[in-house]
Amino acid sequence: MSKFAEPMVRLIDSLKKLPGIGAKSAQRLAFHILRSSDEDAEGLAAAVRDVKAKLRLCSNCNNITDVDPCVYCSSATRNQRMVCVVEEPTNIAAIEKTKHFNGVYHVLHGSISPLHGVGPDQLRISNLMRRVDDGQVDEVILATNPTIEGEATATYLSGQLRRAGLKVTRIAMGIPVGSDIEYADEITMLKAMEGRREL
Amino acid sequence: MALKESEAIVLRTYPLREADLLVTLFTRAEGKVRGVARSAKKSKRRFGGALEPLTYVRAYYEDRERQELARLDSCEVLESPLATEVGYPRAVALAHVAELLDELLPDRETNDAAFRLALSVIAGLRGADVWMPVTYFELWMTRLMGYLPDLGECMICGRPLNGSRAFFHALTDGLMCVDDKRLASSEISGDSRVLAAHMFRAPVENFAGTRWPKKQGSDLRKFLIQTLQRHIEKKLVTAGMLEKISA
Repeated sequence: MSKFAEPMVRLIDSLKKLPGIGAKSAQRLAFHILRSSDEDAEGLAAAVRDVKAKLRLCSNCNNITDVDPCVYCSSATRNQRMVCVVEEPTNIAAIEKTKHFNGVYHVLHGSISPLHGVGPDQLRISNLMRRVDDGQVDEVILATNPTIEGEATATYLSGQLRRAGLKVTRIAMGIPVGSDIEYADEITMLKAMEGRREL
Repeated sequence: MALKESEAIVLRTYPLREADLLVTLFTRAEGKVRGVARSAKKSKRRFGGALEPLTYVRAYYEDRERQELARLDSCEVLESPLATEVGYPRAVALAHVAELLDELLPDRETNDAAFRLALSVIAGLRGADVWMPVTYFELWMTRLMGYLPDLGECMICGRPLNGSRAFFHALTDGLMCVDDKRLASSEISGDSRVLAAHMFRAPVENFAGTRWPKKQGSDLRKFLIQTLQRHIEKKLVTAGMLEKISA
């Protein structure tokens, strides 16, 4: 016999499927939802439903959006000719936090990962190339992760984009702000030295 | 338990729980070791870029009582593939080396010959040309694992194949002469067999500097991959991706 009533068991089982949520946390969250007001519980259920029902990918940049084209692609104040290529939609938030980038984005939804059988054909590159071919872009900033997979993706894209005669740039790599050079690993230090700039 | 120290090559990492990584290392001292790098996903402070596949590191780890997974304490980078440009063919070739090592080597079994081979091939993969180091690695790994049949005689009749045509089949070990070949066999050229003989006599560095088009030794690579896949009883993901790379 189960410890809890069937609807509770179902809720706990569903919450357990979320990343980072174990059995105990799922149980605690389920009881929190049970004790919350009807309004809050309904709000949560509606939010979950809306996420699945209303969100889709922007046809221009592949960002997750509820309106197509997304807020970045339809913005009149952003530089539509400067495109920053990122691996995942969550990367956009990190770049937006800087408040210094005023261009638009293109989301690949992954990176080249041979060990997982992911090659260039599995990434969302075609609509980026379409934007380039249509003459909508002057510069592409490759902001993929500084990993082997991210580097391979950036190198592959730069080869494709350079053929179109575009300016292609790669985000800098090196020592994080506020850290100590003494603790930097060899490869980070090497990249920092390679990417040094004149003052 | 005391902290162990060994040179190692990082083969793969998998996300584990919220912030940890499960790391497969090919250590010089103990062969393939699996361990947990705590908080490696969230904080790059302790491991930095050391856990990227095919990074040559000095690893510090400890075994835990009654636990299969070691605890990875830290890694010091000795050589990173990120030090030189990672193009698409190179990324696939590096992943291929990592996949073969991961699939072929048993856990906790020292194999210094495979370790030295991997290091020299990874060094050979610094350039743009991937086909020579890949061929060399596949050939030697097949031999070191004990899966390589005699390339000099027909496996059916025992006739020497020197100078005559030879064939192989996905479901059989070894080469066959023209009379004994099975239906749907593929041919392996005499040049490729000579190439294999040369590769057994010289280090990988001796073959560097010469241009290697994809076509060169492609029949030999196909034969080796079929042999390896038959023994491990699974398809190698990266072998298919290598095939798709244009010359």
